Amino acid sequence: MSMLELSGVRAGYGQVNVLQDLSLALEQGEIVVMLGANGAGKTTTMRAISGMIGRSGHIVFEGVDITRAAPDAIVQAGIAQVPQGRGTFPELSVEDNLRLGAYTRRDHDIAKDMDRWFGVFPRLMERRQQRAGSLSGGEQQMLAIARALMSRPRLLLCDEPSLGLAPLITKELFEVIQRLNAEEGVSVLLVEQNANLAMHMASRVYLLETGRIVATGSAAELSADDSIRKAYLGF
Amino acid sequence: MDLFLQRVVDGLSQGSVYALIALGLVIIYRGTGHLNFAQGEMALFATYCVYQLGEWGLSIYISVWIGMAIGFAVGAATEVALIRPVAKKSPFAVFIVTIGLFQFLNWLDGAIWGDQLLPNSGVGSKQSQFPSLFPDADTDFVTIFGANIRIQSIGVFLLVLVVTGLLFLLFNKTRFGLAMRAVASSPDSSRLVGIKTNRVLMMSWGLAAAIGALGGIVFAGLNNSVSLGLMFTVFIYGSAAATLGGFDSPGGAVIAGLTIGVIENLVAGYAQEWVGQSMKLGVAFLVILVVLMVKPSGLFGTQKVERV
Repeated sequence: MSMLELSGVRAGYGQVNVLQDLSLALEQGEIVVMLGANGAGKTTTMRAISGMIGRSGHIVFEGVDITRAAPDAIVQAGIAQVPQGRGTFPELSVEDNLRLGAYTRRDHDIAKDMDRWFGVFPRLMERRQQRAGSLSGGEQQMLAIARALMSRPRLLLCDEPSLGLAPLITKELFEVIQRLNAEEGVSVLLVEQNANLAMHMASRVYLLETGRIVATGSAAELSADDSIRKAYLGF
Repeated sequence: MDLFLQRVVDGLSQGSVYALIALGLVIIYRGTGHLNFAQGEMALFATYCVYQLGEWGLSIYISVWIGMAIGFAVGAATEVALIRPVAKKSPFAVFIVTIGLFQFLNWLDGAIWGDQLLPNSGVGSKQSQFPSLFPDADTDFVTIFGANIRIQSIGVFLLVLVVTGLLFLLFNKTRFGLAMRAVASSPDSSRLVGIKTNRVLMMSWGLAAAIGALGGIVFAGLNNSVSLGLMFTVFIYGSAAATLGGFDSPGGAVIAGLTIGVIENLVAGYAQEWVGQSMKLGVAFLVILVVLMVKPSGLFGTQKVERV
């Protein structure tokens, strides 16, 4: 059984269904990359999984049906989302942002976890008392990821983390995601426009077009396909 | 000097009431970006309830808690039943709803308790005056530097300091306070970290209305009576305090509320012939206007600066 399974999912905003009968699966320990043009439904897929919008069909996480669960229950089930465009709390301090990441937790290891992520993201440590809004774009994205990790997720949803970041920062960011996957065993579902970079670390790739999956395979398989390569990878 | 001190302390106690109303406004504004026009009237309803409980023989020290609980319930119910359904559609809808609620509550109070000053010292009333939380007989004063300071004034001022301190702890030291600040900062991200934002908004409205209720009860105690028009000017001064303090700063709202109370009292005391009793409001607003021209986000409000 897959860790995450979507079958026949429809979701959208109001009367408009962006996703039409979308099905995909993610195995434990994978980094799955979702590619697609603007408006294909990548963000909508993310928001459907994390319970932020109305959806129907079946979304099953670790054997539990979460199709109708509220966002807080989904966080508690072990899924954390790094939304598009940072998703931090700009008026709050870096520390408070991390504390909020652990909002659904009731255990006493929260401070310990915070120190651990400060170890992984030393720049956040230096700025722990600063307001998140005063950080640079790259730092804010790191903070958004650290914040998501504070809920101790087993699945991390990352929605275009490279948006608006310099290439060097993006590279650093992707290295962090890969490290989290390898060392902490966090599975990752990643949405990216920056296809080339993302494909390098993907266990599997899904191609999304107008609310449907149109192709899936390993990075090597998809880049071997001429038409896909031209349309999505641009080489 | 003694008269000056007396006027300052009286101003502080008057300003304390503005501060309580302003605190309620700020709590709701921070959470939702809405200005609750019914803040004063919600407080008035709870104040009338406290009057009623007094008629039934309950001590003010018990009825003040019940009054605040009623305030909380009215505020929370308002958010759930009236604000939430329209909030997503348009901010103007919320504006209209709170104005409608303002009128409805005032009408309701009038329908239940009539339009006279209460308690009226006439027949049938058990109380001769609206009870104060603090000793307020003519002899209840202390003499400091030759000034006769009413114990009630000191009590009301200390009460507001305690309320402010408790709110500070709530906002900055508790899980719920963290959630309130998170919802104020970003509702969408709040849901993503697992905050039940609807519940936070409901509780915020309840909290704001409970604090407002305390303001109404204290003010009726200062006036020795409650009437339909009790909260009109208080609400105006309270909104002015919230604006002056910077609409998202609870501490600013309190300091501004107290400042306005003191200015009002000093103007009324020293420049009576010059500005007149009815123009003291104008002087207070002149001060606010000048401050806002220099510092548009208020004395303690955060200017939104964001790096992108």
